[in-house]
Order: sequence, then structure tokens, then C-alpha cells
Amino acid sequence: MKRNRMVYYGEKILVFILSVFLLSLAVFYVSRLAPGDPLVSYYGDRVEKMSPQERAWAEDRLGLNAPIHVQYARWLRDAFQGDFGISYKYKMDVVEVISGRIGNTLLLGGTGFLLIFALSLLLGVLCAWYEDRPLDRIVCKIGTAVSCIPEFWLALVFILLFAVSLGWLPSSGAYSVGKSGDWGDRLHHLILPLSIVVINHLWYYAYMVRNRILEEVRADYVLLAKSKGLTKKRIMFRHCLRSAIPSYLSIMAVSVPHVLGGTYIVEAVFSYPGLGTLSYESARYKDYNLLMLLCILSGVLVILCSMAAQIINERIDPRVRGQEETSEVTKL
Amino acid sequence: MSNRFEVVGIRPLPEQPVQKEKWYRGKPLFSAALLALIVLGCLGCRLLITVDPTYMDLSRCSVPPSRQFLFGTDTMGRDIFSMIWYGGRLSLFIGLAATAISTAIAILFGAASGCAPNWLDALLMRLTEILLSIPGLLLIVLLQAILGRANVLSISLVIGVTGWTGMAKIIRTEVRQIRSSEYVLASRCMGGGFFHILWRHLTPNFVSSIMFMVVMNVRTAIAAESTLSFMGIGLPLEVVTWGSMLSLSEKALLSRAWWIILIPGLFLVVTLLCITSLGNYLRKTVNRKQSNL
Repeated sequence: MKRNRMVYYGEKILVFILSVFLLSLAVFYVSRLAPGDPLVSYYGDRVEKMSPQERAWAEDRLGLNAPIHVQYARWLRDAFQGDFGISYKYKMDVVEVISGRIGNTLLLGGTGFLLIFALSLLLGVLCAWYEDRPLDRIVCKIGTAVSCIPEFWLALVFILLFAVSLGWLPSSGAYSVGKSGDWGDRLHHLILPLSIVVINHLWYYAYMVRNRILEEVRADYVLLAKSKGLTKKRIMFRHCLRSAIPSYLSIMAVSVPHVLGGTYIVEAVFSYPGLGTLSYESARYKDYNLLMLLCILSGVLVILCSMAAQIINERIDPRVRGQEETSEVTKL
Repeated sequence: MSNRFEVVGIRPLPEQPVQKEKWYRGKPLFSAALLALIVLGCLGCRLLITVDPTYMDLSRCSVPPSRQFLFGTDTMGRDIFSMIWYGGRLSLFIGLAATAISTAIAILFGAASGCAPNWLDALLMRLTEILLSIPGLLLIVLLQAILGRANVLSISLVIGVTGWTGMAKIIRTEVRQIRSSEYVLASRCMGGGFFHILWRHLTPNFVSSIMFMVVMNVRTAIAAESTLSFMGIGLPLEVVTWGSMLSLSEKALLSRAWWIILIPGLFLVVTLLCITSLGNYLRKTVNRKQSNL
């Protein structure tokens, strides 16, 4: 049994390493084969006035003149020593650039995720409790409608309403100029982006909770519990909810990258200084090293989360272990 | 003697008035009509538009809605009312083209994986799962940002290429169920090739189960195009779509021109809503039994 376990985790680690390697290879090739001039992000507009000799020198300095596979091998060698290169735009070590921004994204994404987690459970239970009654129907209708709205447009409308017309909340950034340490100010800036992230994802997960509990409510053990005289509340919270929660956890594990993806878009709309804006910029201006590290970070997160979901699923239901199928999340 | 066993105590039940089921019950008539209206308006935009939608009249920037400009003009002085019908055509086209691409990939990939030997099937499905766990919109945005400026076809391609995974999984499951049924075997014995079997025998069987996802893909594609164009990496400003109209919204926010943001967005959202409710109708409805609670 113990040996089996070793093999099991060894396999997982192997798959993880292989996926990260393939991801880095794909990002490296796609970004370098795509049209665009990385020198522009390093030298700015001066590139246009450069002579061919100067260009060649600059390319040589940044290591861009070698064939792609040589460049990749060089990158891989340096990456293993913890050196991910410099960002062309910021002219700093990419690790430094990212570590300056990652806190903002974690704050937005993390709080958003926790709120979605709690609120969707609440909303799902509420809908299941009032199944097919007016409250449930209204919430379902509104939820479906809201989940149709593209994230960026919802953000625009909120800015128009709360920032421009009413002037209650700031429309962009993570903090006012010179107030980066002020937590009250940060929270003030966080409200709008956070509410967009939450509103946009909430219904998808709440609907899943609702359906899962509705399945649970129809099981035979509910009948037994009822005939024993348990109250409706007790059956719902002590029995139905308890058996619905593990599968909800595995869905939420898969949802981490999706919430993060939503965060990235919202960041771009609010020009919030986080990883989303950074990866968008780096992709657009061919800041290769920065893009590589950002993609690998996001990729590692995606892979870890889906592995977590798989492990949770296997814990709930040991039958899954033999099969290839894992939980599947189909978009609403 | 004929009535030897007489039935007694029969209680004459009053004739139950048969509730005539209305033919339109449970069908999304309203959304269908609204969607048809929008689609027709976009197709027949030549009849509706009053001003050339691409003409930039810089002397009349950001005019609020009035009698002359029903929905106002944008920051470049173009008439929004004309642009909506004219640009809707392209938005809808991109939605359909991207869906066609992703459906084609999904059918080929799903059927190939379903028919393949077990080890290959496992490998392909692992690949799909990894792709599925990457948020679609994020992938599209990054891919498009790397590729730079786009035209209508390339944008459909990027959206289509990223959106087939969920559908492929469903098709693969369905194909695995029917691939060893008698009629497929018979067809194979008579020398039917892969594509013949796929088209004549497999597709008709799984088409109903992916219909819902096809419709939802149209919705996702339209939303993705508008997001891309809004972020400035999709279609350029001169190519009018609902998304590229919204890319002016940052300027509009500064000048408080609400109509530039709200009106095209409203058309976009209403279209997406109608498509969603049509899609939900296509999804097989589950008949639930009574709750035990």
C-alpha cells in the first residue's frame, strides 16, 4: 500500500514537471514566432532610427540573434539557476517586477475567491431551500442574465455609475498617488474591481450548488430523516449540505484559475497594477522574459488546482482512482 | 343472463376539462423574436441606416441622442444608430465563424479520440483536460496580444481554436458509446471510411447533445470578440463591430458620454441574453421527481 502511494505521488509529480516543461516550450515558441519587435519595448522609439549594425549589436546583447532552440536551451539553463532574465521594458530582473505587483493581484483575486466561495454557497442553499418558489425563480433569472454580461462592459457601467456620475469610488488604480501604505485607501480602490469579479462569477457556482443540493434532497436518506422527525432545517444543513460540500470543494479548486482569469480582465479595465495588466503588456510589447515567467506562474497554478481537484475527487470516491475521468466543469 | 355480473357502486366522475397545452408554453418565443429582430436589422442594415456609418464628422463629436442622431454620435463623430446595425453584422458573423471552426475541430478531435485505441484516447483526453483548465478568455486575450493586430478571419480563428475542448469531451463520450453498435460495424464491414462513418452514422447521434454547446459557443465568441476589440487588440477602430465601438469608451468616460458606452453594450448584452435563453431551451430538460424534503 505504501509503495503504491509512492508510485501514485511520483506519477503526479512527473506529470506536473512534464506539463510545466511543455508549457514553457509552447509559450517560448509561440511568442518568438509571432510578428513583433522586442527591441521596441527595450529601446522605445529609438529603434526606428537604428542602423543595421546597431540593431545587430542590440540583438546580440539581448541574446535574440541565436536560433530559437538555442535561445530556449539558454533560457532553461539560466532558469534552473534561478535567473529568469531581465524585463525589456522595466530593465529590471523579472522576478523583481513581478514581486512588486503580485501582492495586488493576490489581494484582489484572493478576496474575490473567498467571497465567491462563501456567497455562492449561501445563494445556492437559499435557492434550493425555496425551490421553484418566486424567490428561487427570480434569483435564477437574474443570475442567468448577469452571467451573460461581458465582464468588461459590466465594469464600464459600474465606473460610469459609481465613479463618474455619483463620484463615490475611484475609477482606476490600486491606491491614490503617495498613499501606497494606506489600507483604507486601498480598500476604497478595491471595491469596484472586487464587486465585478464576484458578480461575474457568482452565479455559475451558486447554480452548481443549487443543483447539487436539489439532487441531494431527492435521496432516500432524506425520507428516513424526515420520518424520524428531524426538522427541515436540520436535514438541509446537517445532511444534504454536508454531502454536497466535497464535490463543491473540488469544483472550487478548478475554479481558481477561472477566477484569476476574470481578475486579469478586470485589472486591465481598471488599470489596476497587478499581474493581469503586466501579462497583457508583456504579451503585447514582446517582453519575452516577463511573459515567460508570468505564463509559467499562471500555468503552475492551473495545474496545481486541477490536481487538487483530482485528489479531492479521489478522496470522496475511491472508484475514480482507476478511471481516467475527472470532474468536468462545463460552462453554463 | 347477459348481465350476470353487474358492477355496482361505480362513481360517475365528472368529465375532466382537458387543459389544452398551449403550443408556445416553455418555448423562448420572446427571445427568439427579439434575436430575429436584431439579426434582420443587421442583415438589412442598408434600409435602416441614415448616415454612412464609417463617415467621421469631426465637427459633431459626442453629440447626445437627438432627433437627427437617434443614439447620438461617438467621439469620432460617427452616427451610433447606423453603426449598430452595420457593425452587428460583423459581430454576428465572427460569432458564427468562430463557432463553425471550434465545432469542426471538436467533432474531428472528439470522434478521433473516441475511435482511437485506449492509450491514445487517454493521452488525447489528458491534453483536452489541460486545455480545458485554462480560462478561455485569458488564453484568447494573451494569444491575440502576442499575434498583434487582427482582421476578421484571424480573430475568428483565434477564438475558434481555443473553444473546442468542452465539446470534444462530450462528443468523445458519445462516440465511445455508439462506436461498437451494429450499424457502425456493418458500415465498417462494407468498407465505409472514417469520414463516411463519422458523417452518416456518428454525427446524427451526437448532434442533439452538442447543440446546446454550439449555441453557447456563439455567445462566448461574440463576447470574446467584443472584449478583444475593447482592449484594443482586436479589430481596429475603422472596422465597425459592437466591440470596436466600445473601445472608444475610455474617452467617453472622460467626457461623460454615457450613450457611447451604454447603447452598443445594451445591444450586445441583449443579443447574448437571447442566445443564452435559446441555448438553455435546447439543453435537454431533466424531469425532476418530487422533493423528499
